[in-house]
Amino acid sequence: MSDLRFSVRVNSRPDGRCDVRVRKRGFEVGVPLSFDSAYDGVTALEQFLGALGADLAGGLLARARKRRVEIEAIEASVEAALNNPLAYLDVVGEAGTTAIEQISARVYISSFAAEADIRMLWDEMLERSPLVNTLKAAVRLDLSFKISL
Amino acid sequence: MAKPILVGAVLYDPKVSVIWDIIGEFFEQHHCPIDVVFYTNYELQVDALLKGHIDMAWNSPLAWVDAQRRSGGRCRAIAMRDTDRDRVSHIVARKGAFKTLKDLKGKTLAVGAKDSPQATLIPQGLLLRAGLTPGKDVTIRRFDLLVGKHGDHIGGELDAFKCLDSGQADACCMLDMNWDRWSGDGTINGQKYAILATTDKFDHCVFTVREDFDQATEQRWLKVLFSMSYDNPKHREMMDMEGLKKWESGRTTGFGPLSEAVDKLKFFEGRS
Repeated sequence: MSDLRFSVRVNSRPDGRCDVRVRKRGFEVGVPLSFDSAYDGVTALEQFLGALGADLAGGLLARARKRRVEIEAIEASVEAALNNPLAYLDVVGEAGTTAIEQISARVYISSFAAEADIRMLWDEMLERSPLVNTLKAAVRLDLSFKISL
Repeated sequence: MAKPILVGAVLYDPKVSVIWDIIGEFFEQHHCPIDVVFYTNYELQVDALLKGHIDMAWNSPLAWVDAQRRSGGRCRAIAMRDTDRDRVSHIVARKGAFKTLKDLKGKTLAVGAKDSPQATLIPQGLLLRAGLTPGKDVTIRRFDLLVGKHGDHIGGELDAFKCLDSGQADACCMLDMNWDRWSGDGTINGQKYAILATTDKFDHCVFTVREDFDQATEQRWLKVLFSMSYDNPKHREMMDMEGLKKWESGRTTGFGPLSEAVDKLKFFEGRS
């Protein structure tokens, strides 16, 4: 294991949200999980999925630049299912856990490049993604891409 | 700060917890704090109420009947929604297929979950009154979705209607509110289906306490509950989510059709 460390600092607020400080930047994270579609924060779970989507989209774009393959735009759609969300609410009599059991991500790539080239970028990106390599050992990951012109 | 009143509720969907969060905040703002304890089924909730683990339970009608049965009638119904009063269930069939309920003899009736008062038990009680024994004179096709939650989830009722719609049943059962909703949104084709029979009026969910629940605490809690007003926009959102326009006092006169059905069907036979 490398000695290099990546770190953030997190401070809670009275409303349950948190301020995250990283280097000279910062961002806000909402409550861990919310079932309220009108909740006005971004939950920790949603940020986690956002981070994975950004890892896939940003990682793919970085590989494309390195290989001089032209990509116009990338959009990643990420979904997760918990083993049992009712476990989060302390529902008496429920079995299971709050663990994320499955994550599926569909990445839409706008490019005129040949599919074989995109496939090569995709495989390279997956091979190097810290999040994908960590998650695939713990969660059922369903990752796919689609090329659109 | 007063000690929180422990209120039990059964959850079939995590999104329902949002309603309880809002109700909890409302009581907190009115200096009558509640702590909501969620249960996966009504049997556990009734256990908890009777053992004194919670002060109050938001009970289904079947949970009310069960709590009274197991406590020897030592529970009280203290509040309910206006929409919990005087409900009926319908037995629905293809238009013109049958004239009376008795015509269902030898036919198949699709029902909801085995513990659904509105989509299974009370309609089967109606069959018995008409001289038809479910499972003998009429084949029962049951849709056991989320058993233990007493038909709170409408999925079983909807599956029962789909069974009728696909031609695998001759009739199905549903709550009047679902008949209205599904006829309005196009789920049910009003040209094709009609109500064959309707049950007696019955009451639905009810806040239940043990006989020994402190009267002063109860009155304080009821005062806050009854202070919700549909005319207040802040309250209206919460009341719309919970499906009511007014909180009413609890009453026990509306559980007759269900009590009769569970007795005749021997629903609780073999249970403590």
